Amino acid sequence: MNRTLLTGLIITVILIAMSLIGPYLVPYNESKEATVHYSVDANGQGTLVVPPLSPNAEYPLGTDKTGNDLLAKIIAGSRYTILVTIVVAFARTCIGGIAGLFLGYFGKDKIKSARRLPLWNVLNGIPIFIIVWMVMIGISINAVIPPLFLTIMLAVVMTMVGIPSVATTIREKTLVIRDKQFIISARSIGASPMTIIRTHIFPHMKESLIILFVQEIVLILGLMGQLAIFNVFVGGSTMYFDPVEYVSRTNEWTGLIGQARNYLYVYQWILVFPLLAYLLFIFGFHLISVGLESIYKDKFSKVSHL
Amino acid sequence: MGVRQTRDFTENGGFYLRLSNTTYLVSDKGMFHHLKLWLKGSFRMSKLFQVSLFVPGVLLIVLLFAMLPALIQADPMNGGLHLMWGQAFSKIREYIEGIWTGQSFHYYAGQNELLFWEQIGNSLKVTSFYMVIGAVIGTIIGVLLGIYFAVSRAGWLMRLMELFGALPDFVIVILLQFIVVLVAMKTGVVLAKVGSFNHNEPAILLPLLSTIIIPASFMIRNVALHMKHTLTEDYINFAKSRGLTKGYIIFHHALPNVLPFIKADLHKFMGILFGNLFIFEYLYNLLGVTLLVFVNAFGMHGYQYNLVVNGILTFLLLYAAVYLLLRLMIIGWEKVLTR
Repeated sequence: MNRTLLTGLIITVILIAMSLIGPYLVPYNESKEATVHYSVDANGQGTLVVPPLSPNAEYPLGTDKTGNDLLAKIIAGSRYTILVTIVVAFARTCIGGIAGLFLGYFGKDKIKSARRLPLWNVLNGIPIFIIVWMVMIGISINAVIPPLFLTIMLAVVMTMVGIPSVATTIREKTLVIRDKQFIISARSIGASPMTIIRTHIFPHMKESLIILFVQEIVLILGLMGQLAIFNVFVGGSTMYFDPVEYVSRTNEWTGLIGQARNYLYVYQWILVFPLLAYLLFIFGFHLISVGLESIYKDKFSKVSHL
Repeated sequence: MGVRQTRDFTENGGFYLRLSNTTYLVSDKGMFHHLKLWLKGSFRMSKLFQVSLFVPGVLLIVLLFAMLPALIQADPMNGGLHLMWGQAFSKIREYIEGIWTGQSFHYYAGQNELLFWEQIGNSLKVTSFYMVIGAVIGTIIGVLLGIYFAVSRAGWLMRLMELFGALPDFVIVILLQFIVVLVAMKTGVVLAKVGSFNHNEPAILLPLLSTIIIPASFMIRNVALHMKHTLTEDYINFAKSRGLTKGYIIFHHALPNVLPFIKADLHKFMGILFGNLFIFEYLYNLLGVTLLVFVNAFGMHGYQYNLVVNGILTFLLLYAAVYLLLRLMIIGWEKVLTR
């Protein structure tokens, strides 16, 4: 356990705990929003209070344009962000890992990239968020589908597009291990393929799988953010006309960032705070992945000659 | 003497060792397999077959891919999901019929019906400008800095770089914009345009920065990783024991063996470059190909299938051009470095 890993773990545990406990401390309800009012202080100085309110004692992170508490919004949305990323990353590594193990064990040797169908190479070049966006755009905006169902749909799509890359990585590692002597000897004493994969190959994959899982979380967060920039939010977007405006239905973090994209010049806190929460989350998982890598590197890696 | 070797692929832990004119397959079992150099006849046959399959294959994928938003529809009443196969395939039919009548090349921007050919020229100019610069300069900076990070002892710099690389592209764009806004608010000096307000005075500095930084950060990490790995090989130790200088070893022994990895990951690099293009054209409001398609994809009369198909095809052509350019550049490097 090194310091990097520990810091990462602390950050993520705090964020996850916040998403679990937070809603009881700072409940989010739309009726509690700040409204336009005129307040007179002790000196008789009157001020007109118009949301969005900047951060103050009552609203520590300020309010958005409709007067909703930003802190409560961020906490309410954190469940979606954290749960969706972790579940999708888990599903990707599980399904992709199993597929990779089997493909690697039973498959032929790696097809040389020169002889591989160029089509497959080009498909690798298509940005993933475009694929997800094309699938989701038709149903995500002003949908009647309940947010939870739409979230699950998006999670399934994000899982499916991520499986191939995980499977390829694990497959390549399996191909290397498959030819090692202990596998050959296991086979020679009559172990079945299932047993070999389970007891001889899988233990070598554990570290890779854990690191992949953490890295997938970072990738999924990025993917959700990219989708949000193009108005596809987790749980669906509500589109208002005149002016055209997209609002997240679940207050999920990337949704909050996406809908506040234009607050660069004024009311910046509406953009800054969700962005900070999002970056903190990425940062935490990144530290975990770096920490894990350095642990495994100390164990297995060779040293540079130069 | 001098073991001049080019490692081509690592598969099963083995690699191809090229000594003068013969190529050996060195496998991890420690056996030398003599390899017939180029399996000429059969190879060329399958290549021809692949190329002939390639173009229709890409067209079909694009046609099907652009169909997705028309295919997956939510029921406006009860929210159930519907797959509108009939509607989706009629789009393809309309598109193919429209090629001859020219209708496939018209689209609506707001109220106006525009001709695709007239509009795409300018967009293509903008997009290809940023793509070529991002690809070429991004690769060069990426390789040089990647080598530097692999060799340098400044671990914290590498860690900072990795953290930077973990940030999604749109965050980097927003952060860049934020820095400009903050500086402008504090000092009143506007360093650069945050975005284009109209297309006659486009923002240039920030888009250029982002088109270089984002692919370069991927390239740096990639090169540094493989470089570090290559430097642990025994032939580096051997070269060092011969008294060759550090620079010579890096550029003439290590780098030629890293180039194949760069080549293998080129499509991934291009994926990042082009994915980034969507993001920054949109965030900086640059009227390139992707913004043209994105802004008008859902027009007056619903989903504009033909525009999306045309846009993606233009995009793929650009992809191919930039990819070839990069390949040429790497081939050039190989010629110079491998002696």
